[in-house]
Amino acid sequence: MGQVISFANIFGKLWGVNKEVRILILGLDGAGKTTILYRLQMGEVVTTKPTIGFNVETLKYKNLTLNIWDLGGQTSIRPYWRCYYSNTAAVIFVVDSTDKDRIDVACKELHLMLKEEELTESTLLVFANKQDQPGAMSAAEVSQALSLTELKDRSWSIVASSAIKGEGLTEGLDWLMDVIKEEQL
Amino acid sequence: MSLEKKIRKFLQGPKKGEAYELRSGLVSQYKYERKDAIQRVIQAMTVGKDVSSLFPDVLKNIATYDLEQKKLVYLYLMNYAKSHPELCILAVNTFVQDTEDPNPLIRALAIRTMGCVRVARMVDFIEIPLKRTLSDDNPYVRKTAAICVAKLFDLSPKACVEFGFLDQLRGLIKDSNPMVVANALNSLFEIKDMNVDSSLVVLEFDSELIKTLLMCLNECTEWGRITILDTLTKYEASSSEEASHIIDRATPQLQHANPSVVLSSIKVILHHLGSVKMPAQRSAILKKLSSPLVSLVSSSIPEAQYVGLKNIRIILEKYPQILSKELRVFFIKYSDPLYLKLEKLEIMVRLANESNSTLLLSELKEYAMEFESALVIKAIKSIGSVAIKLPDCVIKAVNILSGLIDQRGDSLIVNETTTVFTNILRRYPGKNDYITLIVPIISAHVSEINKSEATASYIWLFGEYPKYFSNLKDHLDSLVDKFLEYESSIQLHILTSVVKINMASSSNKYSNHLQRVLELATKECESADVRDKAYIYWRLLSSTSTDSQKKVILAKLPPIETTIPSFNPVVLEHLIKELSTLSSVYHRPSYTFIDPSVYSPVNEVQHKEVAKNGKSGNMQDLTNLAKQEIINAKNENLLDLDDNDADDDSSSTKSNNEASLLDELNDLFSTPAPQGQNAQTSSTSTNDILSLFGPNTATANQNTSTGDVNRGLSDLNLNAAPSNSNTQQKTDKVNNDLLDLF
Repeated sequence: MGQVISFANIFGKLWGVNKEVRILILGLDGAGKTTILYRLQMGEVVTTKPTIGFNVETLKYKNLTLNIWDLGGQTSIRPYWRCYYSNTAAVIFVVDSTDKDRIDVACKELHLMLKEEELTESTLLVFANKQDQPGAMSAAEVSQALSLTELKDRSWSIVASSAIKGEGLTEGLDWLMDVIKEEQL
Repeated sequence: MSLEKKIRKFLQGPKKGEAYELRSGLVSQYKYERKDAIQRVIQAMTVGKDVSSLFPDVLKNIATYDLEQKKLVYLYLMNYAKSHPELCILAVNTFVQDTEDPNPLIRALAIRTMGCVRVARMVDFIEIPLKRTLSDDNPYVRKTAAICVAKLFDLSPKACVEFGFLDQLRGLIKDSNPMVVANALNSLFEIKDMNVDSSLVVLEFDSELIKTLLMCLNECTEWGRITILDTLTKYEASSSEEASHIIDRATPQLQHANPSVVLSSIKVILHHLGSVKMPAQRSAILKKLSSPLVSLVSSSIPEAQYVGLKNIRIILEKYPQILSKELRVFFIKYSDPLYLKLEKLEIMVRLANESNSTLLLSELKEYAMEFESALVIKAIKSIGSVAIKLPDCVIKAVNILSGLIDQRGDSLIVNETTTVFTNILRRYPGKNDYITLIVPIISAHVSEINKSEATASYIWLFGEYPKYFSNLKDHLDSLVDKFLEYESSIQLHILTSVVKINMASSSNKYSNHLQRVLELATKECESADVRDKAYIYWRLLSSTSTDSQKKVILAKLPPIETTIPSFNPVVLEHLIKELSTLSSVYHRPSYTFIDPSVYSPVNEVQHKEVAKNGKSGNMQDLTNLAKQEIINAKNENLLDLDDNDADDDSSSTKSNNEASLLDELNDLFSTPAPQGQNAQTSSTSTNDILSLFGPNTATANQNTSTGDVNRGLSDLNLNAAPSNSNTQQKTDKVNNDLLDLF
């Protein structure tokens, strides 16, 4: 059963063709993770319901096959994030920039997650999302609130974004691709 | 990668083992590797390896566009959901998305799997997808969702009702697609069985609904037909016309190739037969049933034939005339397995009548010449049963049996024949020509009798017909000499027979034997029953009133009417209702073998109903009640002792209603007694003296009971299910006799 691996597969493995890069999108509930995922994949805004569980989509970006996992952000599902950490190249952490009350919770969850051994080699990209909304914190403010500067031994970046308008997403992803390609070499 | 990390990774070394390999395959960065790993996981699962530890990793692969992979992951999920209940919610998103998939197969698959994940947390998320699939455009999706409702009800009845699924399900009965109708019905029935809330009405039939069901009967698959036919048996027709309409619609199903459909339609027809007013029409309908019944036996699969035969036995009991012309169908084929042969004999004996007796007896004679001893024994018993059933055949049957002894002559046949002969004589007591025919045959082969049942039979014959044995004294000598070597049930028979012979003969020819037997039994015998019985006889014989002595000792056993076992009428009614189910094969009502915890709420309702009926003092109801009580007492003892209070209450109110008889029955209720021993319990609780007289059911079982007292017990044992009220009456009668004596 499936034991015969074709030559194409073997060579594919050698050259890294068909290899998927695993990227997780995490963040508190309602931060806009699912919207970002489908904005990236289909280029359009979909109406979403709270994700109970996860969504996963594959997309080609700059010659890389990305396997993007969008995990539900509700309190009850957060403990299961750890199931998805292994083999993860990058984590996209999405923050609702308007939600000042819960930015501490987001900070706590972020640092808790980054302590995981399986994620020590993953790159971190933070989206300060919902910039289209009035009263949104700037990327710098979010960075401050999440104490990102304390992070050592990890490549990270923060980008202000708006999933609804499609702003900032490609910039963030471009940066991410550069880092991942560099790491793979 | 920092140096430190590299070193750490190096030190960990490569991990090994199947689980590790599979896990790394499942989270591989290559698609084909993941699929391959899933296939291997399922492979391991199907051969029984525990791969539940891979649950989270397999679950990650649930969201895929590859239908094959999705099916495999779903399969895994159904199997192991219970082992990781909390992780199951990670699959919810995919389930919900899949129920919106353009492919109906995926929609159905998703809702089916979601229903199969029996995890309480799933209930919160199933509402939207289930609602959507219940009103899907595709009938396959709808029918899958219909089944899912029953699964949800099992998990959480409250949620099921609150979300309105029950109403939606009821709506599906009127669906345009027969497959959906049948599955919705099935689902509703399962919900009905599970339902413990008496205020919730799951399903109500009206003639409108029945009409729609009858309409789609012909378009259904065989499973659907069975469901609809089963539904029809639960409906009471409001008029004779409606009943005959239902029967008309069900009749074509009798031709179906599937025996289960045939049986179900027979069940429908029998159920509605009672509502048909015209007797002529009724017998015409019954006539139509004989060929489908025969078709059940002509199946090529022996197991299916067996089930058919078991069901036929029940139907025959209720409608004995139905197959009277079809005897030949039930003749044994040499290739039949033994269980089939024995069951066929049961049917043949029941079909015996004056017109086919010659044919039947010669056929039975052939079977008695076979080599399988179980078949031979059954054949001999059957010959006896025919002789007992049909008075005209006695001489012929006896001749066949004596011919058998002459031809084969082994002890197996002699033993069996002796018992059968004794039964024949008990059926026709005092018939001189039969006695002169039979006794010499037995008497010639006494030395070959070695089985206890047969021994007991011929000892009883001595006691009953001493005059006909030419060398009675020799026989008695050897019996008395070997008295202590016999088992206690035989000792009891010897005791009784010797006392009877003495009582019957005017001379004191056998008083020596009597003296010795009584002495052996009282002084040297170890069995308390034998000793007590001997004391009673001794005391009885010392009394002066010869009339009372004769009344007790020489009382004739009531003639037996048949040796063909029959069902208790209550049981029969149950079995007719449960045709084509497991209980029809067990020949036991379903409540006796289905987990009582499932049915306990239903039981309580039934038992209250019976309690109400009990006020009318109807004997039948009382029997019913008593049986129910004993079953309840048994169940409650196993399950929950707290329920006893309620039980006691109800029985005390009943005893107010029914004076003396119920008082005594109540004694029964308070003692938790296994059903089979009803008779025994009642006798001990009524009077201790009885235990002296009716000490041993073994004697009673043989229908060759020793004295007056065993009469009641032996009669009871003729019936498959003993009825309490009868015992009560009979033991009372015996009681009075005894009181007279003392």
